[in-house]
Amino acid sequence: MKIIINGAAREVQVAPETPLLWVIREELKLTGTKFGCGMGLCGACTVHQNGVAIRSCITPVSTVEGMEITTIEGIGSEDNPHPLQQAWQDLNVPQCGYCQSGQLMSASALLAQNPNPTDSDIVNAMSGNICRCGTYPRIKKAIKKAAGNLQASSVQMLQPEMYQPKEPRG
Amino acid sequence: MTVIQKDKVSMNRRDFFKVTTSAAGGLMVAMHLPGCASVPEGSTEDSLRPNAWLEVTPDSRVILTLDRVEMGQGTYTGMCTLLAEELDVMPESIEVVFAPVDDAYKHPEYGFQMTGGSSSIRVTGPLVRQAGAVGRLMLVTAAAQVWEVSQTQITTNEGRCELASQSLSLTYGELAELAARQKVPENVPLKPADQFKYIGKHNKRLDAKAKSFGTADFGIDTQLPGMVYAVISRPPVVGGKVSTFDASAALDAPGVINVIEVPRGVAIIAEQYWQARQAQEKLKVTYAAGEAGTPSDADVFALYAKALEEGGSVVREEGDVARVISEASRTIKAEYRVPFLAHAPMEPMNCTAWVRDGRCDVYTSTQVPDIARAVARRESGLSDDQIHIHSTFIGGGFGRRLTQEFVAEAVSIAVHLDQPVKLIWSREEDTQHGVFRPSALHRLTAAVDDDNQILAWKHEIACPRILDYYAKDAAGAIVPGWAPNFMVKMGAKLAVMTTPDHSPTEGAAEVPYAIPNIEVSHAQADGGIPVTFWRSVGHSHTAFAVESFVDELARQLDEDEVSMRLRLLSEHPRAAAVLKATADRIGWDRPPSQGVFRGVAVHESFQTYAAQIVELSVDNDQIKVHKVVCAVNCGQVVNPDMVEAQVESAIIFGLSAALFGKISFQDGQVQQSNFHDYRVLRMNETPEIDVIIIPSNEPSTGIGEPGVPPVAPAIANAVYKATGQRLRELPLVLG
Repeated sequence: MKIIINGAAREVQVAPETPLLWVIREELKLTGTKFGCGMGLCGACTVHQNGVAIRSCITPVSTVEGMEITTIEGIGSEDNPHPLQQAWQDLNVPQCGYCQSGQLMSASALLAQNPNPTDSDIVNAMSGNICRCGTYPRIKKAIKKAAGNLQASSVQMLQPEMYQPKEPRG
Repeated sequence: MTVIQKDKVSMNRRDFFKVTTSAAGGLMVAMHLPGCASVPEGSTEDSLRPNAWLEVTPDSRVILTLDRVEMGQGTYTGMCTLLAEELDVMPESIEVVFAPVDDAYKHPEYGFQMTGGSSSIRVTGPLVRQAGAVGRLMLVTAAAQVWEVSQTQITTNEGRCELASQSLSLTYGELAELAARQKVPENVPLKPADQFKYIGKHNKRLDAKAKSFGTADFGIDTQLPGMVYAVISRPPVVGGKVSTFDASAALDAPGVINVIEVPRGVAIIAEQYWQARQAQEKLKVTYAAGEAGTPSDADVFALYAKALEEGGSVVREEGDVARVISEASRTIKAEYRVPFLAHAPMEPMNCTAWVRDGRCDVYTSTQVPDIARAVARRESGLSDDQIHIHSTFIGGGFGRRLTQEFVAEAVSIAVHLDQPVKLIWSREEDTQHGVFRPSALHRLTAAVDDDNQILAWKHEIACPRILDYYAKDAAGAIVPGWAPNFMVKMGAKLAVMTTPDHSPTEGAAEVPYAIPNIEVSHAQADGGIPVTFWRSVGHSHTAFAVESFVDELARQLDEDEVSMRLRLLSEHPRAAAVLKATADRIGWDRPPSQGVFRGVAVHESFQTYAAQIVELSVDNDQIKVHKVVCAVNCGQVVNPDMVEAQVESAIIFGLSAALFGKISFQDGQVQQSNFHDYRVLRMNETPEIDVIIIPSNEPSTGIGEPGVPPVAPAIANAVYKATGQRLRELPLVLG
């Protein structure tokens, strides 16, 4: 069976009902995409199918034959990061990091469709992705920051931000 | 985590570090442990720098061996920050390798190589700083020798020694070999706080990059040549056993290599993971109940109630509680219940094992590499030096990865195979077949006089001891590696008998309120369901009981719940200070918006103080949390933004447990299976979170866990204000 992944056609020897997730991870060795629940409940396995976020753990590989599949390895590189990947670093989003590939794939599909999402747009798009470390507040901020930076042609690496103690409010 | 604590190891700094030349001609700062082999002569790259903390290579790479694991808590960044401060290099420039199993990396308080108890920065932090300071001074000494000047004329700056008066400069790499030949200096002073460049300031999370590109490798990402896959069918009843199985249909399924019985069930091994899962459906197994029988929640809580009636062992006694309560004009009583909880880390349990030619390699996400080695030793029959544990990034720990049954399972399969095998648990298996936060029953009684003074506080707790379950595997890491299995078992029994398990009462025994008569006791009661450490351990339930009950007393005595706490915290200024900071931030003096209600809680755990005030509303019996303000005092802060992140994380973790968390047992079987019925918080349920860090120059204390305990009582206390209903059972459900 032939699937197109991150722009390259790849031949795999698997049963047609095999979930796309396991083909990506264990046959193609693209381990950035994660297994979390196997039921489409947590979003750790999120990839793009023709630009739309799908849950690869419940997607039989036969249903995506000939379609463009994009994984975390396909949206940016350390030399040329996706604005979200830059924002993720700038705001120290990841903790354990296991869910973050899925979070980034859901977020990048959102921004591709809606470059200026409101808070509720973000919450609607991202509530299918579980983060057990609770990085949601930072994910939300990072999506807004990346949306703001989307127009910029290049994103500069930031210096380590120095801590300013908060002034007591109100 | 407070069990299995040994006496704190007092180390003579002078004897503590050993400095040698590495094989490549660099500077290597290693632990020198009396009676242990330290760096052997002619060590090679392959030998994984035994005992090393720090290596400076001739090409100026700075390599830190991280003795604690990174599971999201930020230890990776914290330790690099501390090393960078003392060695004077950029934190980003430090390369990190995860430590192999070695005595040098044992946790000095627990006696085994463990990451937990919110203790890494507190315990390892000072050692890493010391290693950096020793390394820097030896580099400076070498530079002084080269330039024939006194050390005092030399300054360091981001990986270079400099002699400003002569505009000379040498990199650490250029000096490394000469530095390694210097005498190890004694009593090297650490940098004073007013000269800090990074501590308290550095805010760049160093593992964020790999984790934003999918390149951070977790245990489950292990790929080895010729690797095959395994799944295990386990008894549905807790502690159950396999009676019979028929593998014929499963063996005929595509890709299946073998079906074998292993200690915990029946393993299906296949060429692809999905093939193993498909074949599992064709496997026919019958099971029998184990020693625990088929307990349901009602049975377990009946045991707890009976244990409370019979009385427990007193862990704190001040004054004469029995007399004061019997003579009091007024007593107030309440009972609180908490359920079993699963950890539900995002990375399901998994382990890759390869046993061949007298060698065993284990690749796994573990919080306890030496216990992983001990169970691999037990299952493979090999010796410690033949077993290699490869630590990885961890996709969530929360205490779950302190128990190593998944390592035992993988090795017990691998001994039957020539090729490496990756065992993966499904989410359902993760939810149902793991180890759990104990359920517990709390009974509190207070005596009050006619002037509304609280005279007595009696707190009785019934729940199982964690150590009874934990000692079996942990003993294998504590007794010597050559010890036969019967000695390991004996060690486990001995550990249970001789080591106090504080987990049932921690956070209750230390109730900070100034009450003249206090009695806290634990009644041992065990329903046979395996229990373990869960983020904040005993505090996760004791704080709920204590902080709910003190709130109930404030209502009964018609006193403001913040004022009353502050009044009773007269002897605990750090607790009072976090509470006051939280109240000031939210504006406690002024009422919240229409329809919004506030609740408060304050609790000390892992030597850190945390207070929280929540704002919530209730609509149609649904609790909606709008805001959580949390003030923490965790001593000297290394990375402020990471402290904030840990507090955010702990609050969200605590909210999941407070609002949804429950593992229930019916006839010995877990009733939940996946994230639809074992819910955890999602973005749409996440409140605004505001974290206040109290500035402090006291030694650093824990931050991974202390944000969890105050959440549930603060929510319960606010729900009472909103509805008049006092919820005394977790999770908090109205109606």
